[in-house]
Amino acid sequence: MRLFLGLVVLTFLLGCSSTKESDVVTVEKAVCDIPYSTYQATVTGYCQEVRADLTEELPTTIKNIELKPVEQIPEVFWFSKKMEYTLNKQDGPAPLVFAIAGTGASHEASKMLSLQKTLYAQGYHVISISSPTFSNYIINATTHEDMTGDLAKDAKTLYKTMQKVYAQVQEEDNVEATSFSLTGYSLGGAHSAFISFLDETEKKFNFEKVVLVNPPVSLYNSVQVLDGYLDLVGDREAALDMVESIFDRFAEQYAVQESSKFTQDSIYSMFQGVDLREEELKLLIGASFRMSSTDMMFAIDASYNIGGFIYKNHEISKFESLTHSMHRADEITFTDYFDRHLLPWTIKLEPELTRDEMIARLSLKNLEDYLSKSDKISVVTNADDLILIDGEIDYLREVFGDRAKIFERGGHCGNMDRKSFVEYMNTQFTGEKS
Amino acid sequence: MKIANQPVKIFTSVAMALMLSACSSAPDIEANAEPPTVAMPDVKKEDTLIGRYSDPFEGFNRRMYYFNAKADEYVILPVVSGYKAITPDFVETGVSNFFSNLGEIPTFVNSLLQFKFGVAAETLGRFAVNSTVGVAGLFDIATPIGLDEQDEDFGQTLGYWGVGPGPYLVLPLLGPSSLRDTSGLIIDSAVHQATVNELGLKDEEALLLDTLRAIDTRANVPFRYFESESAFEYEKIKLLYMKFREIQIER
Repeated sequence: MRLFLGLVVLTFLLGCSSTKESDVVTVEKAVCDIPYSTYQATVTGYCQEVRADLTEELPTTIKNIELKPVEQIPEVFWFSKKMEYTLNKQDGPAPLVFAIAGTGASHEASKMLSLQKTLYAQGYHVISISSPTFSNYIINATTHEDMTGDLAKDAKTLYKTMQKVYAQVQEEDNVEATSFSLTGYSLGGAHSAFISFLDETEKKFNFEKVVLVNPPVSLYNSVQVLDGYLDLVGDREAALDMVESIFDRFAEQYAVQESSKFTQDSIYSMFQGVDLREEELKLLIGASFRMSSTDMMFAIDASYNIGGFIYKNHEISKFESLTHSMHRADEITFTDYFDRHLLPWTIKLEPELTRDEMIARLSLKNLEDYLSKSDKISVVTNADDLILIDGEIDYLREVFGDRAKIFERGGHCGNMDRKSFVEYMNTQFTGEKS
Repeated sequence: MKIANQPVKIFTSVAMALMLSACSSAPDIEANAEPPTVAMPDVKKEDTLIGRYSDPFEGFNRRMYYFNAKADEYVILPVVSGYKAITPDFVETGVSNFFSNLGEIPTFVNSLLQFKFGVAAETLGRFAVNSTVGVAGLFDIATPIGLDEQDEDFGQTLGYWGVGPGPYLVLPLLGPSSLRDTSGLIIDSAVHQATVNELGLKDEEALLLDTLRAIDTRANVPFRYFESESAFEYEKIKLLYMKFREIQIER
């Protein structure tokens, strides 16, 4: 957990970069001078490409909906008693897109914001839903039977949640949808595929268009990659030294910059000065992923009295120290979650199930027939997306044919606010038909 | 911890001791509770980042964090958004600039105290330009002409001279701090007060000014309690605060 440092500082730096318009006195450089790598693009964004001209005007309402009786929300999550989502509403009737966030991300994560701006500008109402791996979603929207990470079951709860949410915005905000579409990035992309498949039989939305953005092909393969970037069990010392070194270099860079303020440009130039090596960038990505999966597991733990990082049969009070849980979670990977929790949990319901069958279930390959025949579904990703292993890009090309758009560069979701990506999205979500 | 300014230390110690001693954050475990199945990793606490920053006042701090989150939600943020709604943007910017300009004085004093004469000169230049051409600080003329904004406070000065942060501390309404930075804050507030006294305001005018300053400060911090929805937000913010102060002191 000491490794959260890098990410925490990083998040803070990036978060602080949103200066008010009136503060911006110098024109930002169009692109950055950082040497490109897929890891760099994943961490800082694909800043070598020009940013898309996304609308600043985005009418945003943060909404919440009660999905469970308040008594069922654990006290430690006192701040999370309703499920939150974002609505961007057009003035009149318009087509509507649901957007699903990636692993550990909320409905208002920065990548979701890019999607919202892109889609809203095309004339859509946009409803953004947090990932089923995000604490607020887990606590409010999941059930005891549907354990997070089982894509088909996640899709089932997402589908129900989307219906309730749409009913709410119809009633409270007079949103009128002329048609429905669906998108999601990263894990949310895989969820979108499973939701669309479910919709073929349930027919509640009859999606017109479904776009999967940087989805994993096999969830298991992808989490193996990301878990591997942060190896605390194998070599804790090395990981800690690396974090300290990254941190010291950021401090040095901050010390030499002219102003004490953070701007987008100053952050890029700090990155340039720090000159992170590949292992260091991987470490940051791995730490970020670990942080997400820790939050996810803790929320499951507390919601369903699992007793993993917390005391079983113990109601955690809102002032109680959770530091011991954070220490315990330190070395636990998403793969551990799969083996120690998700798999045994599912086997209890289906005693015949094998580990390999479970791994195969959590994959787009499970929907291969459907995906290869469904003209409304397309996929957009990058040839160097680090969550895809060898052969998976080819697999996407094969299954989706000309409905697959593969950019050469961009890492994992590093280009979602860049010009060519947004242009592609605009060809998919035209907003004209209704 | 090295010794900070003695009177300040005594003052804060007494105040804190009164408030902090009563609270605990240790879990009150039920009889039928079972220990977590995931064991504690076999590492010394001092060797983990979170264990490295001592938090003996955790019980108090967590309660204060909760109080601050509630105060933010029910009082401060509504006031801030009311302020933003009724005030035209250029007025908000003017107000921000005005208080930033007043803030140049403690920055100036503290950069001198750290022998950072370049920073002091730049800050003095900013203050001179913005107070005159910038109409008493309402406009920030200095930044466009290349006098960059700097940020030094007495907590950083103490850190510069080797005073460790001491225990983490969450202050009522003001949020994350440390024993050292709280001492620093008291000194900086005194400097600020002396500046305000120079303006020769009546009591109620001074109160209005302080209120406006508080609103402006909150309006410029893009942070919402529990927006992360993480159960570990307290720990993450603590780490962030302690590390960020180290970065600032390195500067």
